[in-house]
Amino acid sequence: MRKAEGGILLRLLLLFMLHATGTSYSPPGKPTLTRCRSPEKETFTCWWEPGSDGGLPTKYALYYRKENSDKVFECPDYRTAGENSCFFNKNDTSVWVNYNITVVATNALGRTFSDPVDIDVVYIVKPNPPENLALTVLWDQTWPYLHVSWESPQKADTRSGWITLIYELRIKLEDEDEWEEHPAGQQKTFNIFSLCSGGKYLVQVRCKPDHGFWSEWSSSQYVKVPEYFNREKSMWVLAVIFSAFALFIITWLIHMNCHNLKQCILPSVPGPKIKGFDEQLLKDGKSMDAFSSLVGANFPPTTTNYEDLLVEYLEVFVPEERELMLEETKELHNDSLKFENSTSDCDSGRGSCDSHTLLIDKSEEEKGQQPDQQSSEIKMDGKGQDEEDKYLTCSPENVDSHQLSSEKVKTWPSSFSPLPEYSPIPLQQPNSHETSKQPCLSDSLFAAGPLPSHFPHLGHNTKDEIGSSYWQFGISNKQLHLLHQQMEAHQQLQAHKNASVSNIGHLQLPSVRFTEYVEVQRVSDQNMVILHPVPSHPETSYPDWHQTEEYSKVKCVDNDNGLLLLQREGVEEGMDMCSYEELPESDPSKTTNTTFTSPCSQPAPSVQDERVVGGYVETSVFTLPTY
Amino acid sequence: LKREIKKIISAVWVGIICLVFSSRLSTMKAASICPNDQTGCHLLPLANLFDRVIQHSARMHGISDDLHSEFELYFLPSKNQIGRVSRNCHTSTILTPNGKENAQRIAREELAEIILKLLVAWRDPLWHFHQSMSQHDEFTNFSSNKSLEMSDMVHELRKGVLKVVEKMQMLGIISNSVGDTGSPEALLTSDSAEWRFMKDYDLLYCFRRDSNKIQNYLKILKCRIVPKHGC
Repeated sequence: MRKAEGGILLRLLLLFMLHATGTSYSPPGKPTLTRCRSPEKETFTCWWEPGSDGGLPTKYALYYRKENSDKVFECPDYRTAGENSCFFNKNDTSVWVNYNITVVATNALGRTFSDPVDIDVVYIVKPNPPENLALTVLWDQTWPYLHVSWESPQKADTRSGWITLIYELRIKLEDEDEWEEHPAGQQKTFNIFSLCSGGKYLVQVRCKPDHGFWSEWSSSQYVKVPEYFNREKSMWVLAVIFSAFALFIITWLIHMNCHNLKQCILPSVPGPKIKGFDEQLLKDGKSMDAFSSLVGANFPPTTTNYEDLLVEYLEVFVPEERELMLEETKELHNDSLKFENSTSDCDSGRGSCDSHTLLIDKSEEEKGQQPDQQSSEIKMDGKGQDEEDKYLTCSPENVDSHQLSSEKVKTWPSSFSPLPEYSPIPLQQPNSHETSKQPCLSDSLFAAGPLPSHFPHLGHNTKDEIGSSYWQFGISNKQLHLLHQQMEAHQQLQAHKNASVSNIGHLQLPSVRFTEYVEVQRVSDQNMVILHPVPSHPETSYPDWHQTEEYSKVKCVDNDNGLLLLQREGVEEGMDMCSYEELPESDPSKTTNTTFTSPCSQPAPSVQDERVVGGYVETSVFTLPTY
Repeated sequence: LKREIKKIISAVWVGIICLVFSSRLSTMKAASICPNDQTGCHLLPLANLFDRVIQHSARMHGISDDLHSEFELYFLPSKNQIGRVSRNCHTSTILTPNGKENAQRIAREELAEIILKLLVAWRDPLWHFHQSMSQHDEFTNFSSNKSLEMSDMVHELRKGVLKVVEKMQMLGIISNSVGDTGSPEALLTSDSAEWRFMKDYDLLYCFRRDSNKIQNYLKILKCRIVPKHGC
């Protein structure tokens, strides 16, 4: 009683005193148990955090209760573990027993209990860090490695199996910030490889029981790795250099052969090419002409044999009556029209294809097969001239050999019967005559040569023969040949021919509408070609033209070796039967040369006489050979 | 004729294979783990047995730990209860050493027997625990699988410990008093009623602790019997 009274009095006095000084006081704040830890599962310590002390000196006490027992014990040791701690020694520690711990703060004004905490020693084990960390540099052949060893913390009894610890170490270079961690399991040694030559390393180790907390890291141990030659690294360096070098070389090679590679990998796309299509015409604006050549001459392309295109022809228009007549005459001279391949020797430069030969001959079969085509036939009126048959068989490829009989000359149809015409014409002659084709050029050239000079004659002879028609020379190549006839190799001729063939195609374009055919009735002995109009095919010709156009005479031969013919005016039907003359077998080259090389300043003598047999000649035809 | 040839060939193959295997087996039998009678070498199989059993118990404890923390998440038993009576594990009747000295002081046979008692005591409760878990829908499949695994493991572990004891008895390390099949059964019947009244969470808590005890006791036993092999 007295004690209690004394206590109360004391408290009141204390309060009064405190109140007199003017400060406020309160019971202590609530303490909290922060953690409890056991280093070896045999003892443990609990720490608490005091609350506010309320301005008064506060005492703390820890009370605990063991599992399934109501008996309350107070902490046996407040000092060993430091301030605000309670240490439980071995005698007081029971493992696998649930402790219920509470901290009480007491001051003059009151007591405050903390929240109770249940702990089981097994689950609060945090061992001490491992001890005796030792680092050694050992050598594996030429490479050093680090041998790390340590021991378990002294207090933790792993030998009896009471605690099982697993370890972990970490290593870093002195300058680095990042640690390299290595779990080590239950072993107490560890080897680290791939060390930097001459580097200084720091190593730390820690441990953990199988159910518990990690210990703190042990203190760092230093080790210096001796200098050594890192063969592996140097090998890598070499490999990198080598590959870089190889890459450089490859790049340089690629760069050098950039162009070739481009061709190889990305070949140039071939531009579209249409045979017989003249882009120039398109550019010039004559689109219709450009396209019409496709439709006509080159479509459908039946053969790529360029010799097919080597057509020397002469298109002549003959009115219908005349044709009948011609037909008659033709039949008479069927024999003469046959190809006589053997006799013709159409080598370029040779005289076998003589001047009396004329232009392209069309085969009889061909004519028979395609009567609808505009086959210009220049036929010689072979009246009674059988014995004087001289003919030249010149056949461009697929074109029948030129036959030049004394009486009949057939020319090859040109524009109106464009290329397809050529192909169907069966090659009557064996291949041996292919060679002869080229000379036929010359022949034709020859033929062309004398013509201009004799036009007046023609004109006379065939005065009333014809409606006008175009007389087209597919002469361009021929002309060329005349010029160079002495030296032409076959190939050159061929080349010229080819060029001219294409040109012919072009040539014909503009004149498609206008071509009509004349028939050469004969070639006079003065190298004169007598023309008769040939009735053009109704489909391809313009009937009107028959009426309106007439033959013209050659005005002159211009610089481009073109024959300039004058258009005849008026309509003249019917044709006289001209006197036929044989073309002399003169050296055609001479005559032609002289003829062609003469400029157009030398007009034909019979310029005045415009009523000449012959058709309208498209001068452009002659000007074409500008290749 | 072709069939007969095939038969003969297959028979020959089988014969060859059998010969090979039998020769192998015979060689295996002939070789022993301890060619020379070195000190402690004859204990190597025992040490291996121990290791395996300890690993098994560690796994069992791990599963129980997982389940327990799962339960704590979902059920959160109130910790503010002061003076709750809970957690009177049915195995508290089994006297177990609560400290290192105590554990080291008791005899090996006793320790082995305690282990076995514990394992036997938990056989039925775990099975029923699994049953009740699978019936409740709120538990995930993962948890119910774990409980099944747990109950299976108790069985397996008991068999393993029995084997170890047998081996030890064979080697003459411990006396033959351990592992009487009779006594565990007797224990079982006496305790059969208590655990049925325990809640699931308490059951888990108790088993978690007991599995830890088992693991620890096994380790102590191993390090007492075969100390040179990883202690």
